[in-house]
Amino acid sequence: MSKNTIIKVESLSKKYLLNKQLAPKSDTLYGSIIDQLKNFRSLNSKKQQEEFWALSNLSLEIKEGDRVGIIGRNGAGKSTLLKILSRITPPTSGKIILGGRVASLLEVGTGFHGDLSGRENIYLNGSILGMTKQEITKKFDEIVAFAEIEKFLDTPVKRYSSGMYVRLAFAVAAHLEPDILIVDEVLAVGDAEFQKKCLGKMKDVSGQGRTVLFVSHNMQAISTLCDQGILLNKGTLHTAGPIDTCLHNYFGLLKEYSFNETTAKSDRQSRANGKAAFSKAIALLPDNSENKFWSFRYDETLRFSFECKVHEVCDGLTFYMAIKGTTSETIITNIKTNIVSKELKEGDTISFKLSIPACHVRSGQYDLYFAIGNKSGTSWYDVIDGNINLPALIVTAINEDIHDNIGYITIPYTIDEKTY
Amino acid sequence: MKTEKIIIDSTLHSKFSLKEIISYKSLLNNLAKRDFLVRYKQAYIGIAWALFKPLISILIFGYISSKINPGTSTATNFVYVAAAMLLWQLFSNIFNDVSNSILGNANLFSKVYFPKIIIPISTILVCLVDFFISLSILVVLFIVSGQSLHWQLVLAPIFVALTILNGFGIGLYFATINVKYRDVKFIVPVIIQFGMYLSPVIFSTNYYLDRLPSYLHWFFCLNPMVGAIDGFKYCLFGGDMIYNLPYFIVSIAVSFLFLIIGLKYFYKFERSFVDYI
Repeated sequence: MSKNTIIKVESLSKKYLLNKQLAPKSDTLYGSIIDQLKNFRSLNSKKQQEEFWALSNLSLEIKEGDRVGIIGRNGAGKSTLLKILSRITPPTSGKIILGGRVASLLEVGTGFHGDLSGRENIYLNGSILGMTKQEITKKFDEIVAFAEIEKFLDTPVKRYSSGMYVRLAFAVAAHLEPDILIVDEVLAVGDAEFQKKCLGKMKDVSGQGRTVLFVSHNMQAISTLCDQGILLNKGTLHTAGPIDTCLHNYFGLLKEYSFNETTAKSDRQSRANGKAAFSKAIALLPDNSENKFWSFRYDETLRFSFECKVHEVCDGLTFYMAIKGTTSETIITNIKTNIVSKELKEGDTISFKLSIPACHVRSGQYDLYFAIGNKSGTSWYDVIDGNINLPALIVTAINEDIHDNIGYITIPYTIDEKTY
Repeated sequence: MKTEKIIIDSTLHSKFSLKEIISYKSLLNNLAKRDFLVRYKQAYIGIAWALFKPLISILIFGYISSKINPGTSTATNFVYVAAAMLLWQLFSNIFNDVSNSILGNANLFSKVYFPKIIIPISTILVCLVDFFISLSILVVLFIVSGQSLHWQLVLAPIFVALTILNGFGIGLYFATINVKYRDVKFIVPVIIQFGMYLSPVIFSTNYYLDRLPSYLHWFFCLNPMVGAIDGFKYCLFGGDMIYNLPYFIVSIAVSFLFLIIGLKYFYKFERSFVDYI
């Protein structure tokens, strides 16, 4: 028996006019009067606006009960698609037929007000997400239990810790009962334990026959949660089908973009004027083949392989790496080390491997940042990071003990002089 | 449990739909509750401000009015000013809050879909609470000044409703402009400030008409608050408060015209607000 189509997208396009909507000069009445006058005089108003098609001619179908992961590089149109599906922004052309009630979760805690208590915020946030008062009242105890905030129900949420705040916000959203649930990257918050709980909850939701659309850069979460996938590339559909096919193609795309010098140069200005540049940066599996998921077990050595090309004579090469939190941008730790201390000529290729011993980086998702610079490490030639689609580093837990999974880094320690 | 299909089409325009608003009444309720709770939070005398703000204006302008109209008793002057002032403040609060409401809640509708008209409507509810609290001033003055009750009193809610529609219609128009041009937040207070002197708040409409050249009479009555305030005063005090029926009707017609323009303009851009925020 074939499943019913619940979402049908027909040649959907979305255009943004960059100049008109982003240029600060037409943000005021005066500015736009001046603009209008200029346009009126030159009679070529169209030319001053740069068109940007976030989505172009996208058609797809999603079946009832599917868990669909939407993947793609930054700027592929994932978020735009979700915004159109959740009726936040209208399409420029095309049509969508939705076969049920949609709830979108593009942010946790939409509409939370710091001055209101947890209780008041549950009702406010629930109603913003489209729940009726009766529905919220019915689920109230469940929400409070899920968020683990019983004691603080009547405290204003501005006094909550950030963890409590996020738990409460997600708890409300998790108890929505729409036919179609749209989730964008919200799991990037909270600790690993809570993320697991959220993923579990989302699986439950789809187990009840609901359709889930999920956008994330966390490939591990996508591959565990979703069975179908949609791969977008530059606003068009690249692949639609089983999630494994989509992920496979996605990593193909990543390789094409992240480590090709010429594309990367146009992507990021700081690459353009370097004397040396990365030409390869990959994560390695234990057998030395490429680890396309950039995903390691906690008890595996984290291994990476790099290759750099020298474009101009330089006095040496320093390598820098930072491990950052995916949401906070805080640098958790970093490495700076000299790789070559003698002069390098144009055309030289330097390759090296980096290993971080097992059991040092705790389970979780991290943004990576690699750079190469001169011998003394005072000026930098090339940087690669999330902006040119370097995948996030994923470290997966190997046991259930929460104490092994919280925090970011394992520090060396000894205990001696034990007496009884 | 088959729900109806939702069609998102680039050519569709959103329309005012009472049915949709009712289906979101829980949101309406909670937004109004939020605004109300937050409004007087961390204010020492809290909700008493809803009483003090109009009271201060009534005292000042009532005093001015009684100096200028020595013919009528001081108490009568005060109660006339109070009636007009409460209605004017209801209008100006709604006008001001509605015109800022869409921008102020951009964080909501840029993340979740709901009919955006819910936001200005919830704003009205909060302003109404303030109005009903301040109404107690009028009741006290009404009794103190020894006014007698008229049968017209039952019609008074009509003019309160007309005031709400005035604030709502004009407010919606400015709320829509505000999405793109932030200049609105400077313009609205100016309109409110000068608007009060162009409306029969401190002086009666007759006072204005007697002093204006006759070719400006029509112009004066294009102000939609003229009809609302005069109607309200007529209901409370009876007598010759309605100066000239055609003028009165013009003013009310303008009210509805503004409401229609406000709604039309709002719905024309409602769907793409997010792209302009």
